Order: sequence, then C-alpha cells, then structure tokens
Amino acid sequence: MNHVDKTSETFADQVRAIPGGEHLEMCYSCGTCVSKCMIQQKVEPEYNPRRLLRRVMLGQREEAFEDPTTWLCSACDLCYPACPQEIHISGVIGAIKQLAVEAGYESPLETVTVDESLCSGCGICVAVCPYEAHSLIEKEIDGRMDRVSTVDPNKCMGCGTCVAACPLGAVARPGIGNAEVLAQIRISESGKVIPTLLVFVCDWCLRADADVSLLESYPKNVRIVHIPCSGRIDPQMALIALRSGIDGVLVCGCAPGECHYKRGTYVSACKIGLLGRMFDQMRVDDGRVRFVQIGTQDRGRIREEVDTMLASLAAWKEARS
Amino acid sequence: MVDAARHPKVDVRTYTEVERVEGFVGNFKVQLREKSRYVHADRCNGCGECAAVCPIEVPNYFELGLAPRKAIDVPMSQSVPLLYNVDIDACIHCYKCVDACGKLDAIDFGLEDKSVWEDVGAIVVATGYSHFDPSVMSEYGYGRYPNVVTAIEMERLANSAGPTTGNLLRPSDGARPERLALINCVGSRDKRFNPWCSNFCCMYSLKNAILLKMAYPEMDITIYYMDIRTPSKGYEEFYDRAREMGIHFTQGRPSLIAEDPETRNLYVHSEDVALGRVIERQYDMVMLNQAAVPQPDVDTVSSVLNISQSPGGWFMEYHPKLRPMDSPTDGLFLAGACQGIKDIPASVAQGSAAASRAGRVLHSDEWEIEPVVAVVWEDRCISAQGKKCGLCERACPYGAIEYEVGKPAHVITAKCHGCGGCVGECPHNAITQLHFSDAQMLAQIRALLAKNPEDKILAFRCNWCSYAGADAAGTSHFEYSSNERGVRVMCSARVDNDFIYEAFRLGAGAVLFSGCHPQDCHYITGQPVGAHRAERLLKAFTRMGMTPGRFRIEWISAAQGDKYARVVNEMQETLDAIPKEKLLEEIDRLRPQMEKRARRMREVPQVEEALEYADRMKAAMIEVEVVA
Repeated sequence: MNHVDKTSETFADQVRAIPGGEHLEMCYSCGTCVSKCMIQQKVEPEYNPRRLLRRVMLGQREEAFEDPTTWLCSACDLCYPACPQEIHISGVIGAIKQLAVEAGYESPLETVTVDESLCSGCGICVAVCPYEAHSLIEKEIDGRMDRVSTVDPNKCMGCGTCVAACPLGAVARPGIGNAEVLAQIRISESGKVIPTLLVFVCDWCLRADADVSLLESYPKNVRIVHIPCSGRIDPQMALIALRSGIDGVLVCGCAPGECHYKRGTYVSACKIGLLGRMFDQMRVDDGRVRFVQIGTQDRGRIREEVDTMLASLAAWKEARS
Repeated sequence: MVDAARHPKVDVRTYTEVERVEGFVGNFKVQLREKSRYVHADRCNGCGECAAVCPIEVPNYFELGLAPRKAIDVPMSQSVPLLYNVDIDACIHCYKCVDACGKLDAIDFGLEDKSVWEDVGAIVVATGYSHFDPSVMSEYGYGRYPNVVTAIEMERLANSAGPTTGNLLRPSDGARPERLALINCVGSRDKRFNPWCSNFCCMYSLKNAILLKMAYPEMDITIYYMDIRTPSKGYEEFYDRAREMGIHFTQGRPSLIAEDPETRNLYVHSEDVALGRVIERQYDMVMLNQAAVPQPDVDTVSSVLNISQSPGGWFMEYHPKLRPMDSPTDGLFLAGACQGIKDIPASVAQGSAAASRAGRVLHSDEWEIEPVVAVVWEDRCISAQGKKCGLCERACPYGAIEYEVGKPAHVITAKCHGCGGCVGECPHNAITQLHFSDAQMLAQIRALLAKNPEDKILAFRCNWCSYAGADAAGTSHFEYSSNERGVRVMCSARVDNDFIYEAFRLGAGAVLFSGCHPQDCHYITGQPVGAHRAERLLKAFTRMGMTPGRFRIEWISAAQGDKYARVVNEMQETLDAIPKEKLLEEIDRLRPQMEKRARRMREVPQVEEALEYADRMKAAMIEVEVVA
C-alpha cells in the first residue's frame, strides 16, 4: 500500500515554486498525456506522467524521484498541446527532476560521453544539443590546459544529435557510435547481398506496433537501421551507403513539432535538404536520398513510403541500364 | 409545436429575424424581418408536388449533409408550419415547381423580405445553443476520417426517419459497424476550446449507447470518459442500466485516433486510468460527443436585445440562483440553453418560469420599480446647449438614457434600475439619483467626518457586494477598526469624484472605494465605470503626493467579510504609521487642490441647503456631547 506523506503540501509547493511546475494542481487525471506519449509503449511500462503528478500532489517525494517518468521524459511536448487543462507537463516533470538532482538522485539513462583526447573544443555539440547538456570547460589534459566539451548526465537524453554533428567523432554513446552504425551499413561489403534500399528509422516516428513489426518482415534488399532520432543522421552515412552500392537511402523521422528530442527532425530535414543540393552539383540523380516525416496519425505510411521508394529506385535503375 | 401553432392566441413566426427592439417593459416595439420563402404562406398546403418535380438537389442541412434535399423543400418533415421554401441560391429558375403548383399559385419568385413592426409587452429569448466543430481537433481526425462522426450525425444515422432509415451504417463503406467507440468531452472541459462542462453529454452518450445496444445487442460499444456526471433524478440509475447491458466504460481521455488506410478502421489510443496503461483499440466507427457552444450569431442577438453575455457567450441572467429566467432588462426573459447549457427537464422548467414571468408583465397595467431612479436637470445638461457629451448614455448599462445633441438627456424611468452610474459620470452635475442625491450624500459625508476627520476611514460601499461584505464581517464577528465610517451607494459607479474630494477636503484620514468584483456587478457594467473613474483618481492623488494607502480601491463580494475586515484594518495600520502632525500637514497641503476640484459641487441644486443642515446637525451633536 502506498504511504501518503502527511507533510504533502511541502513537496507539491516546492514543485510549484519552480518555474514550469506552477500548474501541477490543475491536473484532473484524464490520462491524455499518458497515451499521447510514446515512452510507455516503447520503453518503460511504468512510465506515467499522470501518476507522477498525482504522487507529487500526495507528497510522495521518494517515489516521485525514483519514478522512471521523472527521468525518461524528453520534453518533446506532444502532451502539452493535447492537455485539456493546458498544463505544461514537461515543465512540471522538469521541476521534479531538478529537485531530484538536488536531492542527489542521478539519471538512469545511458548518456553520451566525450572522448577528451579527440575533442577540439569547437563547441558544435553545444550548439546542436536540444537539452543544453553540453558545455565547454577548461581542463588539464595530458599535462596542459585545454578546452573540451563535457556532458551533464542528468540533462542528456541520448538522442545522438551531437554524435552526428561532431566533426571529430569525439562524442559517442554505446549502440549509436559512428562505428556501430556504419557496421550495420557495411555488413554487405563482406556479405553476399547488397541491399537496394537502406532505411534509417527513428525509434519514435512509428506509433503503431503493426508498423514496427512490418519492418521485420522486409526481405533482405531492404535494410533497416534503427536510430534513436533522425537527428543522429550524418549525411556522410548516406554517401558511404551510396558508395558501397546501395541504390537509395530513406530516412524516417517524426513530423515537425512531434520530434521526441525536440528538434532532431528539424536538424535532419536541414541536413538532408543540404545534401540534396550537393547532389545537384555533384550530378547525382535526384531522389536517391529522401527524408520523410511521419506523424503520429500516419498509420501505415511507412509501408507506402518504402514501396514508393523501391518503385522509384527500380525505375531509376531501368532508365540507367 | 403543433399545439402552439394551432392555439388561437399564439402567433408562430418562423423564418423571421428580429432586427430591432425599442421601448421598455410592457411597451416594446419589435422590428421583424420576415424572410421571403418565395411561397405564399396562405396558399401553400404542403402537398409537396413542387419538390417532386424540382431537378436540383442540395445537401440537407437538417440531415447534416448526410442526405440530399430539393431546392424547394420543407426544412424537415415535421416542420411547423408545413410550408415549402425555395433555396434561392441553388434554384436555377426552371419554374417547374410553379407549373406543378398549378391552380394553388402559391409559388411567387417576386416575393421579397418583409419588414414589420409589432408591439409586445414582454420578450422571451430561447435561442438555444450550437455544436462545437470537432474538425479543429486534428487528433481525432474528424473531417478527414469518414468513420469519425459527431453525436448529432450519429443521431441522424440511427434515426428511423433519418437518411439510412434507422440502419446504422458507417459512412466509409456502408457496412454495419461491429465495434463502436463513443468519446465524451470533445471540446468541452478543455481549456483550449471551451472550459465548461456541457452538462448533458454524459447522459446523451449513455442514451445513444443504450439505444444502439438495444438495436444491435452484439455490437461492442465503449464509452471513453473522464468523469461520468449523472446528477439528476434517475440519471445514475440510467448509468447503471448501461453498465448492466454490457456497454464498456474506459476512464481515460483518448489522445489520438489513427485510421488504417486500407480498412478505414480507427485505432483509438487512450490511457486506461484504472490500469495506468496505454491501450490501443480498434473500432469500426467512432462517435464524438462534441461540446455545446453558444449560437454563432449570439453577438448580434445580444446587441439587438441589449442582453449582456457571461464568459463564453451565454446570455447573462439577472441573478444566477434567484432569478435565472430574468434578464437584467425588465420584460425580457431567458429560457433554455441560451442562458447556460442545460438538459431538457431544466430547459422546460426554465421555459415555464420565463413564460409565467412574462405573463405577470402582460397581466398588469402598472409596473413597480425601485424608486432610486435617475433624474435629469434639463437646464444644466450641456447637450441642450448643443454641445457633445453623451457620458451618461455610455455609462448606462440598460440603455435607459436617450441622448441626442441639442436636446437634454432623457431618462426612460421604466428602464432605469438606479445604479447611479450616469450621476457619478456627469461632469456638469446635471443628473441626480432620487434618494442618493448629491445633497444627501454630501450631508452624510459631512456628518460622518464631523469630528476628528483625520482619524476616520470613510468607506464607500456598494449596496450589493461591499455593503453586504461589511455586514458579513459584522455577523461573522470579524473585528475591524472602529474608525471606519460607511456610506452606502447602490453601485460603486455612483461615487462621484466630488464625494472623495469633499471627504479629503474635510480632512478624512483615508477613503476606501469598494464595490463588486468586476464579473459580479449587480448592474452589469456599473463596476467598470466606477473602477475606471477611481483608478484615474488614484493616479491623480499619487501625483499630488498623497501618502499611498490613504485612498484605496478594493473589490469585496458579499461573502468576503474577512476581506472587508482585513482591508479596513490594513488601512488603519497605514494611518497609524503616519505621524499625526505629518498627516495633518498633508491634509492641509492638499486641501486647496481638493477645494479647487470640488468647486462646482456647491452649485448643484439643494447642496448648499443640505450642507447647512448637516452643519446644524453637527453643532447639535457637539452640544449634546458638551451637555453630557
């Protein structure tokens, strides 16, 4: 049985006092935020912002700090425009997280790390990070003072936008490092079949489970590479894929305004757009690298997009031969 | 409706709009525009021959576009009166209908709108409500997904007189839906659109679910809800019945509906609040229980009839609990959802109440009003001298003042409710309020500040809120400073600037200007008129160098006795904090300015006599004290 703390007001008041946490008590537990968010469905069954807010109202401080909701919310704000009470839920969760960090709790998420021997201190990661997790510090490395990037593990959500942006490959996170993603592209070089189409799928753009399981069913000529966010895409990867004989690259990200990591889909749209213009200059045929933004309501769109891409690549190949 | 139409004393005018209303209780003149049907009402017998031959089909708005109607048709089969009507925008003028009508000769394309004036004694407004358009909520896909329908569309689809003759079919493929979701609170209890609860939708979705379950027992029906609200007699039992029939209830507001592009089935995402888990369920059809909203032309109607609106656009009643069927204007009554969302029993009750109230007007030759009405001194009104002013007309919440340059302002006594806003507003002291005349008010002020005025806190309290608030402070035993002296006015708008100047001229320590909260004003918009004036005065006093807190503006409701006591005590603390000699010095310093500003006041008829009388009383009082 949950124990309701008698000093409940103090904790709720603390949360409300932090900018963002003001509207805590407006929640009437309709559950819209819970179902709008994809974290419970995709990552953590115990994730539940409605319950977290309830816990705060009841003064369950430790339970709130240990709740995965406190740490997993990436402030994508899908729930905010849907909330009938107009509560900025990620703001409230941010306030709880701030209190948790002050109380000495640490984020359980696997975050990016900086290889300080490679980092040149250029600051690109600081500019691209949607969470202001990166910052530049002066630090003694190998006996001399140097400017390097450092990551606040309680702020980093692990989207990998910085990994894609780092020109020196100094930032990495297990599972999405440059080498690991490239390995998935290059399997074919030693293997037998060169895929026709390489599909980068962001972990959050496919809402329906049916669409996710559809990815498993594609034959070998369609290779699926899972990435946490379309912002993780480095245009060089597309170039490497084309060089290794793959016909086309499709990058799937979230619809504008629905990016799980705030602005990864925007960053990616810019990058792929720029690549398209480079292709024009390089006289590479149009349409070989495409970026599609799939919205939460676009059920079945991934099938449609892959089929269209395969058909257009087949037509392109036939025209060339 | 048929009974009403047949009643010898009821004259039903349909397809008619109210253009203008003049006059007052018992003597309204109403201008009506009878829109042309292009059919003579006295000749058409409703046989329908014309519609049978009409070649033009247009969407039937009664069926919400789910079925067609002819360009000449009746609005619906039960129309009263049963008169055909040409949709002139769609008509191609082939005149087949004229031929079909034959000897009756009822159709006449030369007919035009008619404007008529009618004399009426009372007006009942029963303009109803409209529906929220859920297509603005992209998450539910209404308008994009054919199988997402509104409750009203569902009503037509399930109605035996509807387009599918009572066979529930889904719009995308005409198949019978086997799984149906009903979503409550679409656009209501939602701060993004309409913050209110639409009152009857819970019962309405239960009714739809029960009817459908009775017609199709095998159908899987789920109601998504936030809270089920069943507050009236027999309602909770109705809810129990729905549960017993096997209708599923999921507590959790759906956040998203996605359509399968092939089957056109709908996937509803919601949290099951009881489980704390997100569920995604597949349905063949989804019904949205959309919010009730005011009629789209509510602003026009309220300006024609001069009824104010509550937040959201519902018509404002005289008093939310005691006089919900009366509008603030005498002789104008409200019935049904136009005043606030209500279900059928409540609408019927309010309609009957409004009718009996209207009957009271019609059955009496005389109408009693409060005697505190405003009166114009015509020779003082500058409008009579051809100068532009009109401040009194603008201050009047009831449209009781007729103003025209060249003529003195005229108060329609029957319309005046006696707030005194015009009196406070008039810069030339040309209006007075009976029983609250300048002379009477000033005499009171003078008497209250007769002795040691620098110790006193003079409080202007509006009759309906602050005066009652002070009363509540007394009955609840909230202690406040005994230096407070209260002056009652009907509305804070009556407090003339002169009164405050006079109080400070006499050396008052502090003055409290109190009234209703802005949304609670008994006289609709009296409070803002008073507030505007008082705030300007506060600025002027600050510029003069008055110690902050000596003039204070506070809105205190009838229930806020504690606030009244607190405010007075705070003002007392402010006074206590000023050293006496400094306060007296400040009073003396400001006196000439106050005198200058209140100069014209003494020219007002009767003021001089009243002040003399007050002085005599003062002297007598002092004498009594000396003797004692």
